Amino acid sequence: MGRYKQYIPDLKIYGITLFILAGFALWIKIIHIESNWQQAGLTTFSLGFILLAAYMAAQILRIAGLPLISGYIFVGILAGPHISGFLTHDMVVRLRLADDLALSFIALTAGGTLELQFLRKRGKAILINIFLQTLFAFALVFLSFFFISNRLNLMPALTKPQIMVLACLLGVIAVARSPSSAIAIINECRAAGVFTTTVLGVTVAIDVLIIVMFTLAMTVSEIILGAGTGVDFRMVTVLTLAVTGSLALGIVLGKGISLYISKVGHDLSLFLLFFAFSVFKASIWFNQFMEAHFAISLHLEPLLICISAGFTVQNFSRYGYIFMEGMERFALPIFVIFFSLAGASLNLDALRMTWPLAAFLFIIRTMGIFGSTWFAGIINRDPPQHRRIAWMAYITQAGVAIGLAQLAQRRFPELGDYLTTLVLAVITINQVVGPITFKIALKRAGEVKQE
Amino acid sequence: MKVTFALLIIIFLAFSGYHLTFRHFRLPLFARIFYLTGTEFLVLGLLLGPQFLNLVDPETQKGLAPVTALLLGWIGLLFGFQFEIKMLRRFPLEFFFGAVFEGLITLALVFAGVYLTLAICVDIPDSFMIVVAITLAAAGGCTAQTGLAFLSQDQIATRQNTVKLLRFISSIDGLIPLLVFGLCFFYHPSTSLNESWLGGLWPGILTSFGASFGLLLLFTLFISHRRFQQELILVVIGMTMLTSGLASSLNFSPLLTNFFVGFWLVNLSRDKERIYQILMTVEKPTYLLLLVFLGVCVRFDSIGLVLLALVYCLYRVFGKFLAGFLVTRLNTELRKYPGKLGFGLLAQGGLSLAILLDFQQAFSSRVSTAVISFAILAVIYNEFLSYYFLERLFKKGG
Repeated sequence: MGRYKQYIPDLKIYGITLFILAGFALWIKIIHIESNWQQAGLTTFSLGFILLAAYMAAQILRIAGLPLISGYIFVGILAGPHISGFLTHDMVVRLRLADDLALSFIALTAGGTLELQFLRKRGKAILINIFLQTLFAFALVFLSFFFISNRLNLMPALTKPQIMVLACLLGVIAVARSPSSAIAIINECRAAGVFTTTVLGVTVAIDVLIIVMFTLAMTVSEIILGAGTGVDFRMVTVLTLAVTGSLALGIVLGKGISLYISKVGHDLSLFLLFFAFSVFKASIWFNQFMEAHFAISLHLEPLLICISAGFTVQNFSRYGYIFMEGMERFALPIFVIFFSLAGASLNLDALRMTWPLAAFLFIIRTMGIFGSTWFAGIINRDPPQHRRIAWMAYITQAGVAIGLAQLAQRRFPELGDYLTTLVLAVITINQVVGPITFKIALKRAGEVKQE
Repeated sequence: MKVTFALLIIIFLAFSGYHLTFRHFRLPLFARIFYLTGTEFLVLGLLLGPQFLNLVDPETQKGLAPVTALLLGWIGLLFGFQFEIKMLRRFPLEFFFGAVFEGLITLALVFAGVYLTLAICVDIPDSFMIVVAITLAAAGGCTAQTGLAFLSQDQIATRQNTVKLLRFISSIDGLIPLLVFGLCFFYHPSTSLNESWLGGLWPGILTSFGASFGLLLLFTLFISHRRFQQELILVVIGMTMLTSGLASSLNFSPLLTNFFVGFWLVNLSRDKERIYQILMTVEKPTYLLLLVFLGVCVRFDSIGLVLLALVYCLYRVFGKFLAGFLVTRLNTELRKYPGKLGFGLLAQGGLSLAILLDFQQAFSSRVSTAVISFAILAVIYNEFLSYYFLERLFKKGG
């Protein structure tokens, strides 16, 4: 208790501030909204409220040793449609614009954080981690889900092949990670070192790999369900083109950013915000254009483009430092908005419905991650401490996994409801637990430079 | 057609980027006025908007409403920061008299002129006509310093006092117009037709003051600790959004509410310098975005708009000339300044544009679109006239 005494004045101020904020929020909720202007005002207010309340709550939780993003997520959950309803479903959807912008911005930061020099040193370790984590997480989730579903007859409406497909898709989605959460926590702790670089490298690389894996899983699933006849090589080609195209475009745009820094230089933070937003919007437009005019679903991945662009500026120009400084200026508001909205989007209804199965999948996935990181640590001859704690850094899961579940829902509508509900429930647990364990892991690895 | 426009826009963006990069490039006078006032960004907005490329369609505009509110709030805060009493007290009292009365006289004259013209020429409900007239008068009452940027060092050196007065007036003469503009929101056509205006005015003013006080308290609590730059940026952005959002939800002006908050902050906060720096770092982009957003809202679908713009511009020019003359004759201390002082007060600038955007957002309709379309055209006329009359004011022996 004595340790916390020094924080009491701060806590009082935070408490009063949150109280006044909540007062304003209650007041605005009883205002009769008539016009579009007022509606827009309500959205603007909500965004400001979320930004400030999440920031304040995170400061309080920080005193308790929790990571800031947990505070942002908790406020999002509290303000979201499932608890207080201050942010309605409609509003969360309307604020997606900020969400999309934030995601691209975070991806740029992710690319900029990866330094080639470190990656070269840890390349082998990263590859081994990726291979083992993918294998273990997939295999354990797939096998255990398939086994208990059949044994306990959890889904009587589904046939055996359908359960196998569901297990396969759940297994692939279990491999997905959340680079945005990883970056936010690394930024917060100003963590740096071998452990941090390895975790970041693995997390970002898996984010790229998961798209390829998921496409393959979809093809296999179609074959199992009898809808496909064999490996769709056209799909594989298009996927390869999309991934390489995105990476190549990222390199070109990264060179563009370097040119901007060298020739113009001013208003860099704003330029990068504009850049992130443009990449996201332009990719969507390009994907729609290709589908509408050429019937090709060549989906350029805005996140890959941004990661590649950030990586290029950091490693193939002299402006890596300036670039990261420019990114940092608006990083805090972006992180706060992104994770609060992520919290508001977490589906508590899904969790309520499926919590025993979701908890089981969470434990199985965590065991898979633990086993894989342990073995990877032994092969890489990592220090014993790193081996023991590495699993804690890979639990977070967010947007990409939800996106994949939604894609699968569209492709296999008969499985969609089961899949999406389960995935949302598991992500809710992972996203609440993951940041906390990750921060603990960074602390125990001794790579936290600032608290 | 769309491809052609897309090409145009790319060239335009490239040229604008060029302008931003090589600021010292010598351009002919016409182009310099065009660039210095950022008119190219208005045209860019017009191209992006529904009338041409439709890249920013009405649905996207709705989605961008929080950005618009943030923009208006930011400008309001910045304007509020100009009223630091400690700083203002360094200027002679007659300067205040000059600024306040100049704004008030121009406002009254433009209001009378616009109201009469609208009553004669346009068929819109009386309640809305008053709102339009107040808005145009308020936008007309504000002055920018852009014109003074064209003066040579010689001209400034020979007329230092006049330049100082002009600078002072153009910094703060928007105060009265902005406060009067706030009245429009109490006279909202959707509510005021069946109610007494004055009846709704006092509760409205009390609510605004109450809300401003609460927001100020909140701001003070947020900055009661010395925060890192990143945290301060978050607080400023968050508070501006909160204030703007609350104002719009209450059917009030985000511009004016943030002005109040800015005014209190600059006079009460320890961290005012740091907050001001944050506000200033994005001042230019904010202004350019304001121009683009206004450009998006503009529709030029009738030649009558050009004529209305001319009439509005004439009212404003007349108002400024007369106001300039009167303030230099009514106050004995100001008699030493030229009677043609109004010649130096024609540039319209940022606050006027913010008032127009605020009006367009709050009273969105076909009429308001037409109003801001011709008002913006008038702003451009004023910028060009401003240079000519400034030259006359500072002419040797003039």
